[in-house]
Amino acid sequence: MTTSGVFFRTSKYFRKKDNIRMLLLLVPGLVVIVMFTFYPIIKMFIMSFFDWKIGYNQVSPFVGIKNYLAVFSDPIAGIALTNTIFYAAVTVPGQMILGLLAALLINGIRKFGVTFRLLYYLPVVTSWVIVSLLFRYIFSNNGLLNYLLTDVFKWIPEYIGWLSTRWLAMTSTTLLGIWKGIGWNMVIFLAALQAVPVEYYEAASIDGAGSIQKFFYITLPNIKGTILFCTVMLTIGAFNTYTPIAVITGGNPAHQTEIVLTWMYYQTFSSLKMGYSAALSFLVAGIVAIIAVILFKVLRHERI
Amino acid sequence: MKKSKILLPILISIFLILVMVLSGCPTPPAEEVTEEVTEKEAEPAEEETAAITEPVTIHFWHNYDAGAGQIDVLDQLISQFEQANPGITINQVYLEWQGLKNNVVAGATTGMLPDVLRGDIGFVPQFQALDVLVEMDTAFSDYADAADAVLEAPNSTAKAGDHYYGIASNTNTKILYYNKDLVTTVPTTLDEMWATAEEVSSEDVIGFCEAWMGGWNLCQYIWSYGGDILAPDYSTATGYINGSVAVTVIQKLADLYAVGAFSGPTIDPGAPPDTDGMGTGKYAMTIDGPWKAKDLSAKYNDLQYGAVQMPAGPAGSIGVLGGEDFMMFKTSDAIHQDAAWKFIKFMTGKDAQVEMAKVGQMPVNKEALADDEVLEAMPLLSIFADALQTCKARPVTPKWGDMEGIINTKATEAVLGQKPVQTAMDEAAAEIDALLQQ
Amino acid sequence: MNMLKKPGIKPIFIKNKRILSSHILIRYLLLLLGLTVMVTPMIYMITSSFRPNSLTFAYPPKIIPDASELTVENYLYILFKQNFSKYMLNTLYVAGAATILPAIISSMLAYCISRFRFPGRNIIYGTIITTMLIPGLAMLVPQFELAVKFKLVDNLWGVILFYTAWVTPFSTFLIKGFIDNIPRELDEAMYMDGGTVFTIYRKVILPMASPSIAAVSIFNFLFAFEELGWSQTILRTDQVRTLPVAITQFFQAHNRTDWGYVFAMTCLSMIPVIILYLLLQKYFISGLSSGAIKE
Repeated sequence: MTTSGVFFRTSKYFRKKDNIRMLLLLVPGLVVIVMFTFYPIIKMFIMSFFDWKIGYNQVSPFVGIKNYLAVFSDPIAGIALTNTIFYAAVTVPGQMILGLLAALLINGIRKFGVTFRLLYYLPVVTSWVIVSLLFRYIFSNNGLLNYLLTDVFKWIPEYIGWLSTRWLAMTSTTLLGIWKGIGWNMVIFLAALQAVPVEYYEAASIDGAGSIQKFFYITLPNIKGTILFCTVMLTIGAFNTYTPIAVITGGNPAHQTEIVLTWMYYQTFSSLKMGYSAALSFLVAGIVAIIAVILFKVLRHERI
Repeated sequence: MKKSKILLPILISIFLILVMVLSGCPTPPAEEVTEEVTEKEAEPAEEETAAITEPVTIHFWHNYDAGAGQIDVLDQLISQFEQANPGITINQVYLEWQGLKNNVVAGATTGMLPDVLRGDIGFVPQFQALDVLVEMDTAFSDYADAADAVLEAPNSTAKAGDHYYGIASNTNTKILYYNKDLVTTVPTTLDEMWATAEEVSSEDVIGFCEAWMGGWNLCQYIWSYGGDILAPDYSTATGYINGSVAVTVIQKLADLYAVGAFSGPTIDPGAPPDTDGMGTGKYAMTIDGPWKAKDLSAKYNDLQYGAVQMPAGPAGSIGVLGGEDFMMFKTSDAIHQDAAWKFIKFMTGKDAQVEMAKVGQMPVNKEALADDEVLEAMPLLSIFADALQTCKARPVTPKWGDMEGIINTKATEAVLGQKPVQTAMDEAAAEIDALLQQ
Repeated sequence: MNMLKKPGIKPIFIKNKRILSSHILIRYLLLLLGLTVMVTPMIYMITSSFRPNSLTFAYPPKIIPDASELTVENYLYILFKQNFSKYMLNTLYVAGAATILPAIISSMLAYCISRFRFPGRNIIYGTIITTMLIPGLAMLVPQFELAVKFKLVDNLWGVILFYTAWVTPFSTFLIKGFIDNIPRELDEAMYMDGGTVFTIYRKVILPMASPSIAAVSIFNFLFAFEELGWSQTILRTDQVRTLPVAITQFFQAHNRTDWGYVFAMTCLSMIPVIILYLLLQKYFISGLSSGAIKE
């Protein structure tokens, strides 16, 4: 039982040459990630301290933290951040609750389970560009939704401008986000539910527990890990949203529906303020990282 | 134990080397190209007649409208040109309006630019500020002849400073389109137009539509009422964009919006797009360019619409000069520049301009304007020709893109009623002045 | 009346036969209601693609159009007057490469990180997680400079390589979670049979981790069909354009929107993704969740 290959020790059968082989497996992934993702991140970080010019021969003056200050004092950056936080705060729980609900429902039926799963998952595998266009069409002033509400179900007297003002437009977009994500959550929760040992429920039944009690005392605690995973991933995803707003409102009216990525894109190309957008990207990345860490710690801590 | 100390340093060194290599390299390409170009710029005159001996591919970026059939015509013209000029291949790329600008911006930093671009006249000063455009009047000896063949006013938009950085491709201005079923008395003054808008508005109809609220949309009203958006020497916006005339105009629009007589797809993303709104009778009136006629007849055959000169304000009927120019880039070498110039001359020549006129592109070529086929294809040509006499160009400055964005944002806020008009325009003036200082 | 012992019945909300029926009925009803909401927009899109363009803004809108309105002119236009087949082929090419490459790379990476303890492992894993937080789109300009340096502009590989880089972190993360659950005894068995790291990878890891690889692959495949910002910057000429960019061509410009064409194009472009989804769906559900569920 040699102990060569000492620093890759996982098995006593690991041989010297396997070190090299392992390196070969490792390197392609590292090269790709470092070269195409990590290096640009570093470059962006550097860019954020310059008034980065992209003209032909133009020199980019060093401006220190001026770009960051510009971001903090910009009212539209604040609007974008608030909108993004709103979007995340509504879509993440929204998707998860409805996804969990769907999973619970499907878990208890015998027939057509696969069909329901398939169809509920359909929006997830439809491209963002397509669904954004679709929802823009449906939510427009004379679109399908208003038609159903005013003329078919007659719930409201006059049409609602779903895309016309800031909060309504953000609400419409969050509805899109939730609609698109329910299937993804449902699938994950389904598997999580099926991993909970049946005996727990049996024991609870014998003790006379009702369905609600079973849910809160057995189901929820056992899928906490999944809930944590979904929350973190969905939050990251919510902050990284770009296409829905870009397609549905384009930030209109008057930049009031901007979210951080669309505003960054606008600053990069329309205003040519590269340093500013680099600083904005970094601030947002920082915020997302902090939120992810907090979520992780909080939800972990609650577990027994 | 020894080995474990080696791998980590190896990994770190690989990483550091990669980063150094990659960060060391980016700047040379820009410098290399500079040297190339400064050498070659001295030569083009000689090489012109040496001409194209080896096959050359020209990249042409544009935003001709696919739906109006303009790209089909473009393809026909391209094959015509290629047949007449063997050895030159044209590679055309459609980019939507904003994408055109974005891609030039992205390309400016890396030198990946096309050979020819047909873009909004407003792009000329902006791209010139990036220092990527070819100074066409000095680069080509026959520029003056080509420029003579086209209308002077539109071509003046290609001038930045003392030199011409492009040549006019097509021109346009705007006239009033109205729905004949809804508008029975055609307004002749702007005040009448506002009143008509209010009259015809109802639950299902919005009297007047403007696609967005930039300079392109507002300047015509502000000028026609005797005001302006910038000082004539572009030194300041205070007193102009927030002056009494501008504020009155925008206040009028805000009032109309409040009673449901005015809207547009940018002010209200839920509202139908301007052409579709006109076509389905949702909007009664709009002020737009020659393409509107083609768009409406292509899609909404049943619509009975009329078109007249834009109603006059107290200072006259002063429309906004629009259009596109052809531009060329310094990053192309001499051979490509020559081929590109040949193509541009072809596209500004009579035949190409006539063909484009048939799909809604108003020609700048003087001969084409008098051509029968054009008159037949654009029945509204005479109205536009009259409008072109009195129209005015927007400020020619590299900062125009940003300024128009500011005007659009602030005017929208004002019209939506989120801020008092004066406040919004004061803010706009302050921001524009800050831009002008830079 | 103890139903718990009957095979095939999930015991969660079952007490006795009578409540069984009404419980189940309520479930079906709720699920059907949810289904209507989920699926109606898609149906609307499909039916709208069969209506002529001039009717798209007509009021009232119809989910089920009259038979007299139906037309295939939108599809004919897309298929024959536009280079749809070229766009589709380009997109399939990109999607295929940008699915296979990340699958290989991230599974290799995940295997190493999961199984081996080497110095710097945590740093590398941390780096991978960190890059997940930053959207690829935010680094537009530096990445474009990189693409120019490697002559990848106007080239499908300029898109493929970057998509690979963008999706590898998350794929690695998910697959690693799955591999963690594969018992090490299988590795040991291979070693004993004289296998090397490579053999283990090929014969043990890949087959056993295939559900998670399938899971990430469906998303990576979809990505090529929906990513817009980068593809619009890199792919210039018509020859190399992909579907998201081509679809954008139609809905652009404040002048008008030919929704009929747009929807015809979107419906057609959904087909490959749906086919792949149907093929893989058996596998990837467990793959997605095992990476997610942690003890």
